[in-house]
Amino acid sequence: MMNCKKIQKDLVAFLCGELPENEQEFFQTHLDGCPRCQAEWEELKKISEAAEVLREDAGEAMSSVDWEALPSQIAENVFKKGPQSRRQTWLAKVSGFLVQPRLRPVYAALLIGVVLGGLLTFMVFRAPQSGPIAEREFFAPQDFLENVELEMARRDTLDYLEKSQYLLLDFIQAPSEKLKDYWQSEFAAEQARDLLAKKRYINPQLDKFRLAKAKSICDQIEFLFYELTQISVQLSAEEVEKLQKIIEERQIILKINLLKKELEQHNEI
Amino acid sequence: MARLARTTVFTEKLTESKKLENDSLYEDIYALIEKIKEGDREAFMTLTSFYQKKVFLLAYSFFRNREDALDIVQETFLRLYQKITLFRRGENFQNWLLQIAKNLCIDLYRKDYGKNKELQSGTPVEEMNISSQDSPDPYASSDLKRIFSACIKKLAERQRMIFVMKHYNQLKYKEIAQILGISLGTVKSLHFKAVQNLRGLAAPYLGRQL
Repeated sequence: MMNCKKIQKDLVAFLCGELPENEQEFFQTHLDGCPRCQAEWEELKKISEAAEVLREDAGEAMSSVDWEALPSQIAENVFKKGPQSRRQTWLAKVSGFLVQPRLRPVYAALLIGVVLGGLLTFMVFRAPQSGPIAEREFFAPQDFLENVELEMARRDTLDYLEKSQYLLLDFIQAPSEKLKDYWQSEFAAEQARDLLAKKRYINPQLDKFRLAKAKSICDQIEFLFYELTQISVQLSAEEVEKLQKIIEERQIILKINLLKKELEQHNEI
Repeated sequence: MARLARTTVFTEKLTESKKLENDSLYEDIYALIEKIKEGDREAFMTLTSFYQKKVFLLAYSFFRNREDALDIVQETFLRLYQKITLFRRGENFQNWLLQIAKNLCIDLYRKDYGKNKELQSGTPVEEMNISSQDSPDPYASSDLKRIFSACIKKLAERQRMIFVMKHYNQLKYKEIAQILGISLGTVKSLHFKAVQNLRGLAAPYLGRQL
């Protein structure tokens, strides 16, 4: 029974001579002794024979074709269209390669890559811009800044006044003989020059914050220092005394003390 | 003239060769292919004249239509010329050519015949009423052709192609497998199914014969 099933499955192949020789012999022996398989074989043979009818039909169709002329006709078309067709083929190959369905995941990945890349680039290039904004936000308002600058100006002025005071006290207290030596020393000259330079630095600040009183005192001190730096070269003993008098008369030391106190007590004058 | 004479001799030589397995024939075909690659028109014509009937038989058996078959022949050799550089030495040329023809048949079948079911199957077998026809012998050769032709057209694409290749082009299973790019077992199985289906389709009309 199993044999018959297997035989019937391969009957078509046997019919077409597609079985190996050793199997053909086995099949023939089986068919001779099995009426059922023999009947099946006969039916399949009839189908195969019926198919042969169409062969005649194909033969008729073939006889109606001019086989001698056909190759030259085909060649005519091929060699006429040849180069163009080759171009088309080249284009078709390229476009065919680009639009083939198996490349779809690649295109999808490329698209995602481009989108992500664009986003990343946008974020990366945007980052430095956010820095200054944060910095600006970090800074205090304008009035606070002005207060800070004013405080700094005040401190600078205080520092200037204090140092000036020391120098001027030295100048008043020293006898005129020693005074000359003192002012000729490099230390005093340097101190005075520093204070003159500092005055030039605090001038705009005093103007900006309208510290008029402080500025007028500082101007007088500046004038004194200017005179004092010239002492070794030009000033005589009389002139020194004159300067000492000016300091005393104008009560510059006192004014400095008052101004210092005032600056220490108030933010604004 | 001498060239034409050479070609004629060559054609005769090719025609005389009964089997493609013949080594010298293979060599001759490769030589022709090399010439075609260089644009030799006569070599192309020689090759065409040698294989045109095989291509026609395949296409005609598949479509049962002379004009379609001729179109397929034209297109097959045009494609052959365009793709000739892709042919590699060692390949079986006939199988390679029939593969092109088969692809064109399938394309045309899907494009034109696939659009219309009725066209695809011709006149449906079920609608054929042989007994009502005027012919005194309902199993006359022409009717048998018509019925069998309609039955073949009812087969699925691959079964139909395999049946045609086996019964009309007389190709071996191995060659069919190579042309269709499927396994030998699949060819055998599909051929078996094709024959069984034909038997089932034709049985009601060819009852007395089967």
